[in-house]
Amino acid sequence: MSYDAKPVTIVMIEDDEGHARLIEKNIRRAGVNNEIVPFTDGTSALNYLMGADGSGEVSRGRQLLVLLDLNLPDMTGVDILEKVKGNEHTRLTPVVVLTTTDDQREIQRCYDLGANVYITKPVDYDGFANAIRQLGLFFSVIQIPETE
Amino acid sequence: MPISNNVFVRSGVVLLLVGFLALAGIVGTTIWLVEQTQVYFNQVIEARDARTTAVDLRTALQDAETGQRGYILTQEEGYLEPYTRAVGLVEQNFEQLQNVLVPYPQAVEPLQTLRADIDTKLTEMAATIDMVRSGDVEGAVAVVQTDRGKEAMDRSRTFFDALIRAADNRLTAGAEDQRNAATALRWTNIAGAFVIFVVVGAFAWTVVSYTRELAKARQEVELANASLEQRVRERTVDLGRANEEIQRFAYIVTHDLRAPLVNIMGFTSELETSVGELSTYMRDHEDPDPAFAAARTAATEDLPEAITFIRAATRKMDALINAILKISREGRRQLKPEPVNLAELAEASAAAIHHQVADKGGRVEVDIAVPRVISDRLSLEQILGNLLDNAVKYQQPERPLTVRITTRQLPGGRVELAVEDNGRGIAGTDHERVFELFRRSGAQSQPGEGIGLAHVRTMVRSLGGDITLRSELGQGTTFIITLPRDLRSYLETVTK
Repeated sequence: MSYDAKPVTIVMIEDDEGHARLIEKNIRRAGVNNEIVPFTDGTSALNYLMGADGSGEVSRGRQLLVLLDLNLPDMTGVDILEKVKGNEHTRLTPVVVLTTTDDQREIQRCYDLGANVYITKPVDYDGFANAIRQLGLFFSVIQIPETE
Repeated sequence: MPISNNVFVRSGVVLLLVGFLALAGIVGTTIWLVEQTQVYFNQVIEARDARTTAVDLRTALQDAETGQRGYILTQEEGYLEPYTRAVGLVEQNFEQLQNVLVPYPQAVEPLQTLRADIDTKLTEMAATIDMVRSGDVEGAVAVVQTDRGKEAMDRSRTFFDALIRAADNRLTAGAEDQRNAATALRWTNIAGAFVIFVVVGAFAWTVVSYTRELAKARQEVELANASLEQRVRERTVDLGRANEEIQRFAYIVTHDLRAPLVNIMGFTSELETSVGELSTYMRDHEDPDPAFAAARTAATEDLPEAITFIRAATRKMDALINAILKISREGRRQLKPEPVNLAELAEASAAAIHHQVADKGGRVEVDIAVPRVISDRLSLEQILGNLLDNAVKYQQPERPLTVRITTRQLPGGRVELAVEDNGRGIAGTDHERVFELFRRSGAQSQPGEGIGLAHVRTMVRSLGGDITLRSELGQGTTFIITLPRDLRSYLETVTK
């Protein structure tokens, strides 16, 4: 674990641009100024995380945090979660699952697959903003391990 | 020809009656014929007696005559011996003959003649023997030559012959009668037996064909039953599939509706923040420009008001979507049948509201007569919890709340669970409506979205049961739930 922390890059995988914008606004409002790399579909996000060859080699040495929506047009977020947590280079990358579903079985499945945090997108906007802010606080406090 | 139950019974009775009559006929005729035989037999015996006696008497007379003649010829006492023996027998035999002929009045006169002839003959014989003994053989022969004795003897013989012939005729006739009676008996028996055989045969045939028809009918019923069961099974599967589709549809729709709603609410919130900043700025500034006043009104009054309405509407929409989601998720939930102690479950549910009820002087009574069922515990807890919450929510403010939870065994392996309260009640027009989604009854004095009872009904139905209510406005409400005692058997029939 290195203490000369490089800035963490936030990878946001969210197909709804409105949600993406709201999440970004709130992250910023919470005082988190890390770079946010947005993706609106699973394929391009996986491409970024795992590289064109899918080996995950590209992520070696990166400090990433993934915000993952479960409802994506081309695949489910669970598929991405599975790949990220199954790859030796990316498995230590924290993944925050964001979704409208509060289905207990789905939540359990995500935790079983290694999701670090599961946040349901409440329509109650204040609660949502609060959750994101806390997430920002979480980002700024924790030391995210560099991926190997 | 199909045999109906009625025809079967009627023909059975008729056949039995005919058989009984035939049997009675056989028995009656047999008894009568045996009686007749007895009579013929007696007559035969009488005739034979008469004949024997007559023969004996005749023999005795002839013996006496033989002895008399021998003695007259030889004058030796030795020849007299048959005479002395026969004279005694004559009297004896005559008496017997008299007795035998008592029942025949027409024999009285000939008998008297016979008596006279016998006396004449005996007197003649006694006289001639006395004469021989005293040495007057010539005298004795002369007496015999008068032919008086011979005539008497000839008359007697004629009588005896007639009597013996009559007796012989009687014997022959008796034997004939006997034979006729036996023949009649045989024919009667044959005829009766024939009738009985016919009756038994017909009855057996009726029984056999009736039984065959019954078996056939039962087979048809079984066949119909089987196809009916098959049809019910198919329909159930179809229904289950349709239901599943609707639930999936509801789930997807509500799920997808939430995504835009998140945007609406999120950006409304953003808008509110911006408008807040704008209105604070506008409120503190003055500008002579006439357009400024309008802009200030818009920023400080119109925009915040619009946002308030938008927020209220979206919040309501969120609640509705949540309700639909909840119910559709309930329908998709895997039920877990396990032994549930209803008494414990009801006590636990009652304990959960104990605080709210006891505060206002109310009470909850639990009276569980059928404690054990096999069902989904979570569903039952939610059902009972919802109903008890409703009872607390809609109690009549002026009287302490009393809630009774009871159970009852129903036929067909079902259980009735009733929750009775003395709350404000539900108007008759709303008895069905309260179970519908987003519908509520009576004064809207309590917060709520109208999903509780809809949810309860969904859960009860997924447990294979049903819920109804009995209520009178202002008096109270009783919710009646019927459930299968064993959820597993219900699930089997649904998924088969």
